[in-house]
Amino acid sequence: MIGTSLCRWAISYCAVAIAWLLLAEGLMVAGFGFPNHDIGGPDTLVIVHMVCVGWLSMALCGALFQFVPVLVARPLYAERWTLPALALLTLGLTVLLAGFLALGGHFNGPAWLLPVGAVLLIAGFALVVVNLSMTLWSARPLPGPARFVAGGLACICVTTAFGGMFSLVLSGTAAGAQWPDLLISGVPIHAIAGLGGWLTFTAMGVSYRLLAMFMLAPDGDVRLGRLAWLAGITALAVGLVGGVLTFWRMTGLNLALLLAGPAALLSLAAYGRDVLGLYRTRKRRALELNTRMSLAALVSLAAAAILGAALLAIGFFQSHVGALAFLVAFGWLTGLVLANLYKIVPFLTWLETYGPVMGRMPTPRVQDLVAERRALKWFVVFFAGSWAATLMLLLDAALGFRVAVAAVMLATLGLSEEFIRARRLADVAEPLRLPTGAAMPHLLVSRN
Amino acid sequence: MTIDDDDLVARIRQALKVVIDPELGHNIVDLGFIYDVSVDDGVVHIIMTATTLGCPAAFFLKEGVASSACLVPGVESVDVTMTFEPPWQPSMISPGVRSSLGFAEVN
Repeated sequence: MIGTSLCRWAISYCAVAIAWLLLAEGLMVAGFGFPNHDIGGPDTLVIVHMVCVGWLSMALCGALFQFVPVLVARPLYAERWTLPALALLTLGLTVLLAGFLALGGHFNGPAWLLPVGAVLLIAGFALVVVNLSMTLWSARPLPGPARFVAGGLACICVTTAFGGMFSLVLSGTAAGAQWPDLLISGVPIHAIAGLGGWLTFTAMGVSYRLLAMFMLAPDGDVRLGRLAWLAGITALAVGLVGGVLTFWRMTGLNLALLLAGPAALLSLAAYGRDVLGLYRTRKRRALELNTRMSLAALVSLAAAAILGAALLAIGFFQSHVGALAFLVAFGWLTGLVLANLYKIVPFLTWLETYGPVMGRMPTPRVQDLVAERRALKWFVVFFAGSWAATLMLLLDAALGFRVAVAAVMLATLGLSEEFIRARRLADVAEPLRLPTGAAMPHLLVSRN
Repeated sequence: MTIDDDDLVARIRQALKVVIDPELGHNIVDLGFIYDVSVDDGVVHIIMTATTLGCPAAFFLKEGVASSACLVPGVESVDVTMTFEPPWQPSMISPGVRSSLGFAEVN
């Protein structure tokens, strides 16, 4: 197989994801949820699930449908499943959020909203996991980056399983009443599997390949990423399996997490070393904006690892876990996803528009679809806002947090406009913009 | 190959310069993607590569090479083979293009 085809709905996933991100940011600016309300309260759960499921997971799913086939040089197992999965995830999240709003007393909703929302989300993620797993299965033995994705897929199964059980407890069902302590013991497992396993571990794996491709750095050494993968898988296995076992016995969760912590730090350190190695050995000296901003996101990941270890050491972890979670979700993951969307959107748009006429007419470059200098200021505002918002949370300055998130939202709006301009070919100079035979791409769906 | 075939190969190589790698932004001939062009009784055989196995652009590059070669007068048919052996290296880029891309010195 020489090349994979375009995933028709990858752009749609990205568009839906950005809409959820903007909505979550708007609510935070308005003072909804943490830090104005309890970190474990229903309003905060609305924000957390908008960001983690609506934004990060949707964007990651769209990117994986396009790039897992590139990682393993095999076609996607079932392209036709991608749209039903998008519909199930969107509907499931909407119902789940309605359930949280009802739980918070914002309206008088039925108790079944949470479990029904969870079931729809589980169905959507099941379609994603089976589709990507079968694609990976066809390419055994897996190359290094794909192993991270396989680990991430296992973790989203754990995350959704716990989420489903939480929905039964929170909605007051008879089944949920059998696990009265689930919310106390299970939330760390749910969060670690989701943020650490599914989102971070998967993003690490994909970034190995993407950074090597964009920097033209040699990544053929089979040892590349091995330590980061082994230590990460060990950390996740000890944290999740140990967490589940201790949950069963209701003791020792902290021991499992303490054992997993050093392995997780080793994985992140090895990952940082590998990325620095790729950076040093790159053939392409002048890096494009997406790569530079990906490196800025990695700085956030390093900062999060240091902050987490420091908070644990001084005994402030529990009281400041919100700041750490925000830094991971925005400074690291959102920054990395936005940086990569800045390449993915114009690249897919280029392939869709100019690929079919290549060889017959002169075509522009991918870089001609974007204006890096204009976008740079939005990335600067985004990262400055994310880091400032983290600091405000550490200082318990709720108003300062809202102002900082307003800056993050402004940057997100600015970058959204850049993505739309790329889809509209607005920055491509004539006469290359629409050569004979090329068709203007649709905004929200690709022709494949 | 005859002198006429050599001339045809030269014209085909020139025609292939309309095909660019969208990511690197230069034509695939100067980037070193074209491993071989030969002519056999009017049938053109082209062996080419791309930067990444499995990349969605690889299919369009192959089609683009076939389309541009077909437009050259004297070409009856075109057979394009995409290979990743040997894998493409930045050292295959022509020196002028390499410096304009801001590439490090490669051996």
